[in-house]
Amino acid sequence: MILAGDRFLTRDFDLEHLYRIESYAARGGYQAAAKALKTMTPDEVLEEVKAANLRGRGGAGFPAGIKWGFVPRETDAPRYLCVNADEGEPGTFKDRYLMSHNPHRLLEGMILASYAVGIRTAYVYIRGEYGAIARRLEAAVTEAKASGWLGDHIAGTEFGLEVFIHRGAGSYICGEETALLESLEGKRGHPRLKPPFPASVGLFRCPTVINNVETICNIPDIILHGAEAFLRRGLSRDGGTRLFSVSGAVAKPGCYELPAGASLRELIFDRAGGMRLGRKLKAVIPGGLSAPVLLEKEIDIRLDGDSLVEAGSMLGSAGIIVIDDQTPMTMVLDKMAGFYAHESCGQCSPCRIGTAWMARIASRLRSGRRRDGDLETILRLAANIKGRTLCPMGDAAALPIAALVTKFRDELERTS
Amino acid sequence: MVRLVIDDRTVSVEPGTTILEAAEQAGIEIPHLCYHPALPKAGTCRLCAVEIEGQPKLEPSCSTEVREGMVVRTESPRVIEARRSVLELLLTEHAMDCPICDKAGECRLQDYYQAYSLAPGVYAEDKTRREKKVPLGGGLLLDRERCVLCTRCVRFLDSVTGTSELGVFERGIRSEIACFEGRPVDNNYSGCLSEICPVGAITDADFRFRTRSWFLEAKETICPLCGRGCRIVLERHPGFPRLPGTAKVLRVRSRPDDLVNGHWICNVGRYGYGYLEQERCRDIAGPLAKRLGLKTWDDVVAHLAARLRALRLKGRQAHMAVVVSDWLTTEELFLAGAVFQRDLEIGRCHVVGPRDDSPDGMLLTAERSPNRAGAKALGFGLEEPTLEDLARDAEMLMVFGPFLGEKFRPDEIGAALAGVKTKVLFTPRDNGLGRFFDLVVPTVWPAEKDGTFTNCQGLTRAFSAAFAPPSSAVEEWRLLAALGRAVGRNPHFYTPLRCAGDVRRAMP
Amino acid sequence: MSSKIPERTKRRVEDILSRYPRREAALLPVLSALQEERGFLSPSDEEWAAETLGLPPVKVREVVTFYSLFRRKPAGRHHLQVCTNVSCALNGADGLLSHLRQKLGVSEGEMTGDGRFSLAAVECLGNCDQAPCLMINDEHYGRLDLRTLDEILEKLG
Repeated sequence: MILAGDRFLTRDFDLEHLYRIESYAARGGYQAAAKALKTMTPDEVLEEVKAANLRGRGGAGFPAGIKWGFVPRETDAPRYLCVNADEGEPGTFKDRYLMSHNPHRLLEGMILASYAVGIRTAYVYIRGEYGAIARRLEAAVTEAKASGWLGDHIAGTEFGLEVFIHRGAGSYICGEETALLESLEGKRGHPRLKPPFPASVGLFRCPTVINNVETICNIPDIILHGAEAFLRRGLSRDGGTRLFSVSGAVAKPGCYELPAGASLRELIFDRAGGMRLGRKLKAVIPGGLSAPVLLEKEIDIRLDGDSLVEAGSMLGSAGIIVIDDQTPMTMVLDKMAGFYAHESCGQCSPCRIGTAWMARIASRLRSGRRRDGDLETILRLAANIKGRTLCPMGDAAALPIAALVTKFRDELERTS
Repeated sequence: MVRLVIDDRTVSVEPGTTILEAAEQAGIEIPHLCYHPALPKAGTCRLCAVEIEGQPKLEPSCSTEVREGMVVRTESPRVIEARRSVLELLLTEHAMDCPICDKAGECRLQDYYQAYSLAPGVYAEDKTRREKKVPLGGGLLLDRERCVLCTRCVRFLDSVTGTSELGVFERGIRSEIACFEGRPVDNNYSGCLSEICPVGAITDADFRFRTRSWFLEAKETICPLCGRGCRIVLERHPGFPRLPGTAKVLRVRSRPDDLVNGHWICNVGRYGYGYLEQERCRDIAGPLAKRLGLKTWDDVVAHLAARLRALRLKGRQAHMAVVVSDWLTTEELFLAGAVFQRDLEIGRCHVVGPRDDSPDGMLLTAERSPNRAGAKALGFGLEEPTLEDLARDAEMLMVFGPFLGEKFRPDEIGAALAGVKTKVLFTPRDNGLGRFFDLVVPTVWPAEKDGTFTNCQGLTRAFSAAFAPPSSAVEEWRLLAALGRAVGRNPHFYTPLRCAGDVRRAMP
Repeated sequence: MSSKIPERTKRRVEDILSRYPRREAALLPVLSALQEERGFLSPSDEEWAAETLGLPPVKVREVVTFYSLFRRKPAGRHHLQVCTNVSCALNGADGLLSHLRQKLGVSEGEMTGDGRFSLAAVECLGNCDQAPCLMINDEHYGRLDLRTLDEILEKLG
C-alpha cells in the first residue's frame, strides 16, 4: 500500500490499528452515520448521493444514487443490501486494502446506504480467497454491534441494521450482481435474465441494492462533507477520488488514490515508479483484465469513464496492468483467454463454447503452433460472443481478446 | 392487448406474452432449444435471438416480453448470422453421431442446421471426449457428447415432477448433466425426458435402435390406460409392404392438450402400448364356433340374434347376463344398453374393468379405464359383480372385454361359469379367459376404432381410428349395431347417424 | 452418516443457518465448514448438507462442483495455489509453478505421496501488487522468488 497525495478513501491508512473501532471513531468514524440518522431523512441521504453522481466502483460504473432510486418505494417485502466484495477482476486489489485497513468505513457506508433505501439486512459477499479479510470484517461487525452501530436502535434512533459476512468459494462470475445473488442464495453462480432487475427482484426475490466495496466506502465522506466537495475532487466529470490498483512490470506496484480523471502516464511513471528493470512499456490494460488494452502511444489519457470509453476501452475496476516489451503477447493472450474459459459459468452457448475455443487457439499460439486463419477465427468468435450472451461476461471476454489480437496482430502473426 | 409487428405481420397478443410466443401465434417459428412452452424460461441457448428495431443488441425472443409498437425481425441478416454462429458453436462440441443417433430425422439441431447454416465446420482443435452412455435411471441413457446443455431435463424434473434428480455439474465447457449416485431418475414421467431433449442426448431404452424416426407413421388417439385420457400419438412402423417386418407400434408420444395433460404423458401410457399387438385374439374360436361352423362375425351375429330372440320370446330375460367394460366407447355402451337392456330387456347388465391401482398425484388416475365416466353418465351401475352374480340362474352370458380374466383367478372362473349353458366372449386380448367360453369373437382396442370417451374430469372427447385392426377383428359398435338390427325390435335405429344423435341425447 | 460430522461443526452450522432467512442460502458457508474438517467434501458430507438444508443431494453437488475452492478429493496438508494470471505471470509466476512441479514431483491437481503438499494453478487472487503470489490453504504469500518460496515450504510441517 503506497500512500501519497490527498487521501480520502485511504485516509489514516498508515495507522496500524485503524481497523479497530476505537481508532476509527477517534479519527471521526461513524460521524456521518450519526449525522444522517439523527438529522437527515432517508430521502435526503439518497438525494445527496445522487447529487454526488457517485459512479459504481466495481466495473460497470453505474451511478449509485440512481440505482438506489430504482428500489420501489411501496413494498412489504424486506429489502436487502449486498456489498460486492468479490473482487475477481484480475489486476484489482483495492477492495482488499479498503476492507483490511478500514472495515468500519465499509460498515458505516453500509449503514448510510441502508438508511437511505429502507434496508434492515445487509450481506457482504466476499470472495472465498479473502479469508483473513472476512475474519477482520466479522470482528468489525462484532465491535460495531457492541458499540451500538449495528443491531436495533442505532444511535438511539428507530433505524436498525443487521450485517452478515458471506464468503464465496472461488468463482469470478459471482462478481456479476445477479450471479452474486444466486450464490448468496446457495446456488451455482448463474447470472439471471434481466429484466427484472435486482432493485425490484433481487435477493430471495426481494428488492435489493448491490454496490461495490469502494462505492460504499465513499458514502460517509459524501454525507459528512457534501456532494459538491466530492464532485470537486475529481478532475473531470467523474467526481471524487478513485483507488487505482497498479501491478505488472512497474517498479512500485500498489494501490494509489488519485482524483478521478488523473493521468494514466503520470500514475505509471510518477507514482508507480515507472518500468521495472529498465524495460520499456509495451501495453497497459487500464481497467482490469476485461478492459481493452492500450498501446504505449495511447496512455496519455485521463483515467475517467468517458475518456477510456472514447479510447475504445473502459475504466472498469481501475485495475491497471502494465506490460513490458520483453513480454510476448502470446503469453498475455493465453492467460486472458484461459481465464475467461475457466470462469465461464457455462449457461449460455456463445460464452461456454466460444471462450473455450478461443482459449484452445490461444494456447496453441503460445506454444508456437499457429495455423493460418487462427487470428481471424479468434476475431470472428469474439464478434459472435459480443452482445449475444446472457450476461456481460461475454463482452468482458470478447472485447479485450479482440483488442489484443487486433492491436498486436503483427506480433502474433510472426509467431510460429 | 399489445400490438406489434413481426416480420411485417401485425400481431395482437395479451400483455406478458413473449416475442417468441407472439411469433408462434402469428405462424412464425423462431428456432429454439432451451425454450419449452411448459417449462420455466432459461434464455441460455441464445438461438432464439431476434432483432428489435431501435435496440442495439439482439434480444432473446423466448424471454423478452412484447411491448406496444415493437417492430421485430426474425430473419434479418444479423439474426441469421447470430443463429448460424450459435449452431456453429454447438456443433463444435457435438458428436457427429447422426448415422447412429436415434434422434436423426426429428432433431432440432439437424433441422436448424439444415434450414439456417449448412456451413462447413472449421473447428480444428481437439474435440472434447465425454461419456456416451451415462445411465440416468428409468431406462434413459445420457450421451454427454451430444448434450447441448439446454437444461430442459433439469428444469422438467425441478418444476413438473418436483423430483429434481438431475443437475448441472462443473462449470464452463466442462459442464455436464448428471445425477447423484444412488439417486437416479425415478418417477412416472421419466419417459418425457427423452421426448423433450431437443437432440439425441437422452435416449430411451424402449426405443433405442429400434427404427429410424422417418419410418414411423404418427397417428393421434387417446390413451385408454387410465381415466385421464391423455392425448397421445402412436408411432407405428408400417411393416410390409412398405418395409420388411410386421406393422407395429414402436413408440408413444404426448400430444399437447391444455385441458387434460398439458404437454406430458406418464410412463404407464408411454410404455404400455404392447397390448396393441401382443396377445391379440385373432380368430373366432370356441366349441360353439366349431360345431356350428361360424366363420365370420356376421355368422356370429346371425346365430346370436336368433338365440337371443328365442330366449326373449320364452321369457328367459332374467336368465341372461351381460358384462360390458369401461374400455368401450360411449357409443358402444349406448348400443349395448339399447340392444341388451332396452330391446332384449336383460336386466342383469354389469360393468367390469381392470383393477384400480395407485394414482400418481398428477395425471395417472386410480381407475385404469378410459370411460368409466361415460359408463356412469349413461346410467350403468358401476358396482362390480361377483362371479356368483354372473352365473346365478344364467343360461346365457355375454362378456365384452378381457377384464374378468384380470379380476378373478382361472380356477374361480372355471368353477363359477361351468353351469352357464352358453357363454360368449368378445375380446381383443387373448389372456386365457377364452377357454372358459363357448364362443370367442376377436374385437378391437380403442386405437382401432372411432368413438368418444369421457374422462375423469368429465371432458368428452372424440377420437378416430389410428389404424386398422387385425382383419379378423370387429369393432364392438359394428357388431352391436348389427346385432341390434338382427334382433329386430328397432332395426332402422341401428344406423350410425341415428345412433350418434341418440347418444348425444342420452348423455346428460 | 451424520455421526461423522463433529459436534463443533454442527454447532457452527447452526450458527451459520441463523444468518439466512432460508436454510438453502447457507449452503456455501456450510460446505466451507464441512471442508475444513477433512480438507475435502465427501459424498456423505454432501448428503448431510442436503438433509440439513432440505435440498436434493444433486443440488449440493451442483454447487460443490461449480466453485473452485471446493474439493472432492483430499488435498495435501498444505494446499499450494499458485496464481498464474497476467500480473503474476509478468512477475515470474510460471517459473514458480514449474519450480514447484519439479521440486515436489507433482503436476497441478496432484498430491505428494507423503500427503504434505498438493498443487494447483489458480486465477487472480486479488494480491497483484505482491506478485508473484500464492495461497497455502487459507493464507496469502506474496513477493516470492524461488528462494523465499523454498524457505516458506521448509518451515511447513
